[in-house]
Amino acid sequence: MRTRSTRPRRASRRLVGALGVAAVLSTAACSGGSDSDSGSGGGGETGARDATLTVGVQSAPASLDPAQLNEGQQGYVWNQGVFDTLLFLDNDLQLQPNAAESYEYSEDLKTLTLKIRAGMTFSNGDPVDAEAVRATLERTRTTAGSVQPKFDLVASIEAPDESTVVLTLSEPDSTLLYNLAGSAGVIAAPSTFGSADIALDPVGSGPYTLSDETAPGSTYVLERREDYWNVEEYPFQQVTVRVIQDPTATLNAVQAGELNAATIQANQVQQVEAAGFDVSDPIPTAVGTLLILDREGTIQPALADVRVRQAMNMAFDREGFVQALLQGAGEATNQFANPASDLYVDDLADEYPFDPEAARELMEEAGYADGFSISMPSTPITQRVEPLVTQALGDIGIDVTWEPQPPSNSASSMRSRQYPVAFWFAGLNVTELEAGDRFGTVSFFNPFEVPSPETDDLISQAAVETDPDERRDLYQQAAAITVEEAWFAPIMYTSVYYATNDGIQYLSEGAPFPSVRRFGFTG
Amino acid sequence: MIAYVLRRLLTGVVLAVLVTFITFLLLSPSFDSVVQNRLGQIANPDAAAALKADLGLDRPLLVQYLDWLGGVFRGDFGTSYFTSQQVDVAVVDRLAVTLSLVLVSLFLSAVISIVLGVVAAYRGGVIDRIAQSVSLAGHLIPSLLVAIVFVYLFAVKLQWLPATGYTPLSEDPLGWLKSITIPVIALTIGGAANLMAQVRGAMIDELNKDYVRTLRTRGISTRSIVLKHVLRNAAGPALTVLSLEFLTMLGGALIIENVFALPGFGAYAFAASLQADIPVIMGITAFAVMLVVVVNLITDLINGWLNPKARVL
Repeated sequence: MRTRSTRPRRASRRLVGALGVAAVLSTAACSGGSDSDSGSGGGGETGARDATLTVGVQSAPASLDPAQLNEGQQGYVWNQGVFDTLLFLDNDLQLQPNAAESYEYSEDLKTLTLKIRAGMTFSNGDPVDAEAVRATLERTRTTAGSVQPKFDLVASIEAPDESTVVLTLSEPDSTLLYNLAGSAGVIAAPSTFGSADIALDPVGSGPYTLSDETAPGSTYVLERREDYWNVEEYPFQQVTVRVIQDPTATLNAVQAGELNAATIQANQVQQVEAAGFDVSDPIPTAVGTLLILDREGTIQPALADVRVRQAMNMAFDREGFVQALLQGAGEATNQFANPASDLYVDDLADEYPFDPEAARELMEEAGYADGFSISMPSTPITQRVEPLVTQALGDIGIDVTWEPQPPSNSASSMRSRQYPVAFWFAGLNVTELEAGDRFGTVSFFNPFEVPSPETDDLISQAAVETDPDERRDLYQQAAAITVEEAWFAPIMYTSVYYATNDGIQYLSEGAPFPSVRRFGFTG
Repeated sequence: MIAYVLRRLLTGVVLAVLVTFITFLLLSPSFDSVVQNRLGQIANPDAAAALKADLGLDRPLLVQYLDWLGGVFRGDFGTSYFTSQQVDVAVVDRLAVTLSLVLVSLFLSAVISIVLGVVAAYRGGVIDRIAQSVSLAGHLIPSLLVAIVFVYLFAVKLQWLPATGYTPLSEDPLGWLKSITIPVIALTIGGAANLMAQVRGAMIDELNKDYVRTLRTRGISTRSIVLKHVLRNAAGPALTVLSLEFLTMLGGALIIENVFALPGFGAYAFAASLQADIPVIMGITAFAVMLVVVVNLITDLINGWLNPKARVL
């Protein structure tokens, strides 16, 4: 078994540096052409230009309508696939100019000006100009869908001339630039907005177009556009995305040579290596955590006591979870943040060691020597962790009842305010996006809207801070509060392995926003 | 006859309406989740309400259901909430994959079981015992295991057949045949074993009847007695099992489709249920019910043709 005990911290330092350099909210203009980002981009300098990539994904892309995109593995189809994005988050988590060749914030961080690259075209021949960008963004902003919330703080979008787009914000938004490197930054041909095909066969300005061989829901075949402005960054002449739900089927397809890239499981590594594939080191992709949602004790009064929440944190043998559930393909953690982000606090890594004895003492101090009961939503995703969680909490006197919920209700049951505690696997992301949905008063993981003025304040200060060290310090202060106040009881990072063949490499160490550009050839 | 068929189909339609209505009621608690899943992460309440209204999910259940039903009678099954694909187009595409597997497996099961069943029943002795052992083995060996072993052997090691995926018959007949070979073998093993035991049992029952002795005394050849008379009479019960086998295979196809990453009906139903994609689930339910009704009807018609006593009209 591969071990990578020292890796997160190492990765953490390097990536934190990278994010710092990006100085995402700086007032300085950041510009660059297609040449400036080639070093950290999709690679491809050494690979054959007619290479093909056949990658397996676990679930079929939902709609490809720009207003309905999701940022999971289906990004292989649209993210730098069918669509170009205004900005690009490269494989080292750095923001790069893309369809927007430069971007600049005003002093008060409430006006973002984007310069659109000249000479780009949609795959139907229409020109990509500021008006097309404005129209797409405006459509997404005003269409109910998965991307719309990313424009919550955008008050207006204008295109004063044919190469300039101006976004006016109601208040500074530290997540905006990252969102413009994902689904919110997608550009589609306005002449096709009314078309019924937009969800299945959209017209974009990306490096690829969907070919006729595409069978929605099972196979997506992308052909490279040789007239794309940045075509030299894309070594694959054809990319096929195949939907294979079952991990065993993925393994079979890999071994039979039907895929040359796929994510595989820890117990498949040996077999896949034996089949001649390169297997990446495990790349952390998500954090599995207990969400202590009811921190004011609305449903379960005991949870209002910080000692109880801390006791819950000490109830878990995290290493044991990693061994039992992930066969070692993961890492214990006590923090609900990407280890490579500004939110991860190295100094707190040893907080809450596994100590049921001390946990029971804390429970007793808090007046819960006899324990209490909680109910938690059970979905297919949580099923494997349930016995271990029940046992660990049972050991300190907390009696857990799991209430079955259909898989489609995972998010709604967690946010329903019916459950004081829930278990969740949350995808790792960049600092700004994680801070937004985890540590604020109004955030996805705070359905009870427990007020937290301190973290809100620190996060909004960080959002306008231009000095990277200062900013990191502010984010860490906010994160530290969540650890000390035990808002969550994080347990483990889960990892995936990328298996690749034919000289293809997975080039990132865990960048979010899956994209064809995460694959390439290394010299 | 035509009136009978029409009446049966009409009963089928009533059944489909009932089943889909119950399905709709069972789905109704998930409406808010559908909206949430569509909007993702933090959906602000206004957007959620707007989308819910947009999808028509805020109307009374009966109105929504009748609206859906009206659409179906006009040939409009709606579009998927998530992929925006037209439901009838998607279902027919998926059904083609599943029926490729199921019909070919069923045909093979029938041929194998009739040959083995007839020979075993008629010859008896060692051949019968061998045939029975084969049938027993077919029952005992999990077909999934066979599938996994075959994939390893023929797809991974020898690379004669694809390990995953489906090639449409219209695109490449040979590719189609290759892509369904292992799944069909997996489905056929259980089906043939079941059916063979049926055919053999029914044949033995028939062979012991008086009319067989009478035919013999009239000097009719054994071959003619077995194939023209006994098999025809024994076919009734076997046919019923065959139609049940069809339904079993339709269910079993879900697992097989997942193992071979085939874009079939079962895999589609599974994915739609995970997302609570209401129009898709409703469309799948309607098609599945009608499929069952039609298969039962065909079975009864063939039964009537084989055996005048079983004719309803």
